[in-house]
Amino acid sequence: MSSSLGVTTSLPPPLPAAPAQRAQGPRWHPPLQWLWAWPFPLAVLLLWHLSSAMGWTPEQVLPPPAQVFRTFADMVASGEIWSNLTISLARVFTGFGIGLLAGLVLGTAMGLSPTVRGYCYPLFKAFAQVPVIGWLPLLMLLVGIDEALKFLLIAKATLVPVTLNTCQGIQGVPNRFIEVAKVYGFTRWQMLTRVVFPAATAPIWNGVRYGLTHAWLALVVVELLASSEGIGFLIVYGRQLFQLDVVLAAVLAVGIVGFAIDKLLSLTEVWLLRWRKPGF
Amino acid sequence: MTRWLRTLAFVAAALPLFHPGAAGAQTPEPLKVIRIGVATGGVGSDPIRHGGTTTALAYTDGAFEDEFRKDGVEIKWVFFKGAGPAVNEALVNKQLDFAWQGDLPAIVHRANGVKTKIIAGSGVRTGLYLAVRPDSGIQTLADLKGKRVALFKGTNLHLAASAALAAHGLKERDLKLINLDLAGGRTALVNKDVDAIFDYVGAFDLRDKGLAKIVWSAAADNYKFTRQTHLLVTEDFAARHPQAVQRIVTTLVKVAHRYSNEANRADLFARWGKTEYPEKIWREDFIGQPLRVRLSPLLDPFLVSRYKEAAKDAHALKLTRSVPEIDSWFDRRYLNAALKELKLETYWPVYGPDGQLAN
Amino acid sequence: MSREKSTWVVPPALRGWVLPLLILVVWWWAVASGWSTSPLLVSPAAVWERAVQQVTSGELWTALSASLWRNARGFALGASLGLAFGVLLGWSRWADRLVGPSFHTLKQISLFAWIPILSMWFGLGDGAKVAFIAMAAFFPMVLNTFEGLRSVPREYIEVGRVYGFGLWQQLTRVIAPSAAPSVFTGVQLALIYSWLATLGGEYLMASGKGIGNTLIDGREHFWMDLVLFGVVVIGLVGYALNALTSALERRLLAWRDRTVGRY
Repeated sequence: MSSSLGVTTSLPPPLPAAPAQRAQGPRWHPPLQWLWAWPFPLAVLLLWHLSSAMGWTPEQVLPPPAQVFRTFADMVASGEIWSNLTISLARVFTGFGIGLLAGLVLGTAMGLSPTVRGYCYPLFKAFAQVPVIGWLPLLMLLVGIDEALKFLLIAKATLVPVTLNTCQGIQGVPNRFIEVAKVYGFTRWQMLTRVVFPAATAPIWNGVRYGLTHAWLALVVVELLASSEGIGFLIVYGRQLFQLDVVLAAVLAVGIVGFAIDKLLSLTEVWLLRWRKPGF
Repeated sequence: MTRWLRTLAFVAAALPLFHPGAAGAQTPEPLKVIRIGVATGGVGSDPIRHGGTTTALAYTDGAFEDEFRKDGVEIKWVFFKGAGPAVNEALVNKQLDFAWQGDLPAIVHRANGVKTKIIAGSGVRTGLYLAVRPDSGIQTLADLKGKRVALFKGTNLHLAASAALAAHGLKERDLKLINLDLAGGRTALVNKDVDAIFDYVGAFDLRDKGLAKIVWSAAADNYKFTRQTHLLVTEDFAARHPQAVQRIVTTLVKVAHRYSNEANRADLFARWGKTEYPEKIWREDFIGQPLRVRLSPLLDPFLVSRYKEAAKDAHALKLTRSVPEIDSWFDRRYLNAALKELKLETYWPVYGPDGQLAN
Repeated sequence: MSREKSTWVVPPALRGWVLPLLILVVWWWAVASGWSTSPLLVSPAAVWERAVQQVTSGELWTALSASLWRNARGFALGASLGLAFGVLLGWSRWADRLVGPSFHTLKQISLFAWIPILSMWFGLGDGAKVAFIAMAAFFPMVLNTFEGLRSVPREYIEVGRVYGFGLWQQLTRVIAPSAAPSVFTGVQLALIYSWLATLGGEYLMASGKGIGNTLIDGREHFWMDLVLFGVVVIGLVGYALNALTSALERRLLAWRDRTVGRY
């Protein structure tokens, strides 16, 4: 089922679920389990600290962790991190919104109507072969380096996985569901909202998740290449002036955002699929 | 559990060895390759063409290659599209022996503890220009407030531009400075993505094509806004192969001497004309300036004071976190020996800290 | 978006060609009629000429082979490390408890944010780019291997025990085939991300040769025909990579079709 539609369609959820069905080993209380996450990062931190304190690595290449955290705190205090982050996030969510809407519409159209699919799908698939990065220089030529570039690129990054997964999800709705709905005399609208979309929610959601990851990825790239504000700009600023601690602090912020987005997605997924009862 | 601890300890102990920047053993070995970094991308490829300074001339003429051919030493030129900041990355990773670099990025790496020595000037009083679109209303630096301006950050363009802006009452935050390399900046100007660009002679190119007009020139405003570039050597390399450093400097001085001769002016610009820009653009940047001034390799009080001020400015503009000590950065031994050997001690004029002739 | 076109005018098999041909015609007409004076509007013929020039001068081959070779090295490094690490996380509960959370946190950092750090750590040359590509391949590989291992149902292991399988047999006959689909998905994703990282790395670490550098050159010089040509080449490479993985999947996982299909 997946092969003919191309690699980008059959995606597992980006994060693995909790270990399935296997009987747990020795029983640990949850709080203790949470504690075990710390020794490794703390050891790495210690190693890092020793490495710069003892001079094992040159200071320019690895600034002391204390300095990085201090820089991070300074940048948070001065509002630099926050203002740049909000600009970046605004760009991502705008672009993502555009791409999501377009993707859902296009994917639904292609999923529902074989005619539309016949005309549009091959062209779309060809379009999807070029990763978002490949479109960057072309878009830079066409629309310059202003906000339009960012929105377009982020929208494209979102569009492809959302469209493909929506299309595949809708196509994958088992026929018998439709037949049952017809027996019940559902109107077209009822069919769509009560049968097709709920059944296709899981793959569509996969596409949305993948799309958001790619949207964030595209944003970082475009900000690294040409921007006057945003979190990517901060990273570039640190790089040009050889202040690796600024770079690391900004990367830390990027990681925090990534983490937050992921959590948000998980919560939304739980809410969206709340009606679904696990089969086993 | 102890197995894990042992493995961890082993990894921890071995880690420094795996660092990509860790240099090999420092025992002196016969010289095979000299790696010279150039803080610009040049133009074209195979070979890359580059002009504008004595180092560029040495590259085009193959002067270093000629000098070291009989010893079988290869000269490896590395061009960095990322300019000064990219050279810094290579210097930190010990991937270069010499570098042609501008004042700001060199000060940045010195402030970060990278050990280099400046051994010759190569491109002093280099200009800086502000270019805007022909229909733009911007006429002075002060008009840039709130505008989008392309500036190649981390290069000596950055420092000179920031210093000029500060002198005209503007801080970096008063306008939107977008980090773009020179080619990208020009494209952005033409595309209306930025309102102005701080550029070098490429601005003349745009102007001649009718795509831009030049509204400000550093040389016309204040010599303090001109940029300096130099040739430096890593302390590491100098300690291992001082004779090679001497020969490089001597060769550079010879090249500088040949082209400082006004009789060779036409030849000079003809050579540069085959590189990034056509001849007449280079000529225009040198109008009214004797070749002996611009092509001087001297490390005179003028240059030293420029670098000291640059270090202070950089710190004041928050481009660096400390003010590195400058006096000991210059290593004049090679230059003086070269001048003595070629009997050129009085050929180039010596300038004092105020930009005027010292004697 | 459905269009009213009677099926007998355009047979279903050819429908896919309608839109591309239409676009090509409009494009050609726009250039020929001088509808736009922008220097960016180059004719399809110009793109074709540029393509011919690039292929015959060997420039395309130099750039493409450099990129592909870098991609291969980075992918091999990242995928193999990813497989090993994923097996470690999946196999050993202790490893998962100790290192898992840190890994999942690191994974949240958007890929390209690593470039400036890698550039400062590796400096000049291919090292930084290969390291970056390896990172891009590493993360999806670990995640999918981990999931593959974790989702081996206990029943299978128990059946293996009933048959008296030793560790090696458990690995090769029970765990590996069961985890294989996930691992293979990991390989697919790793391939996608590594190609993405190859291109992005060439933009942001601009020394050296590659197809990404060709694109950037075109952009800098306003050579739209070169940029378009580059885009087509990249699309073709993407398609080839997809086709390769699909073919591999069909061969390696052919036995899967005989069992109950997964969702």
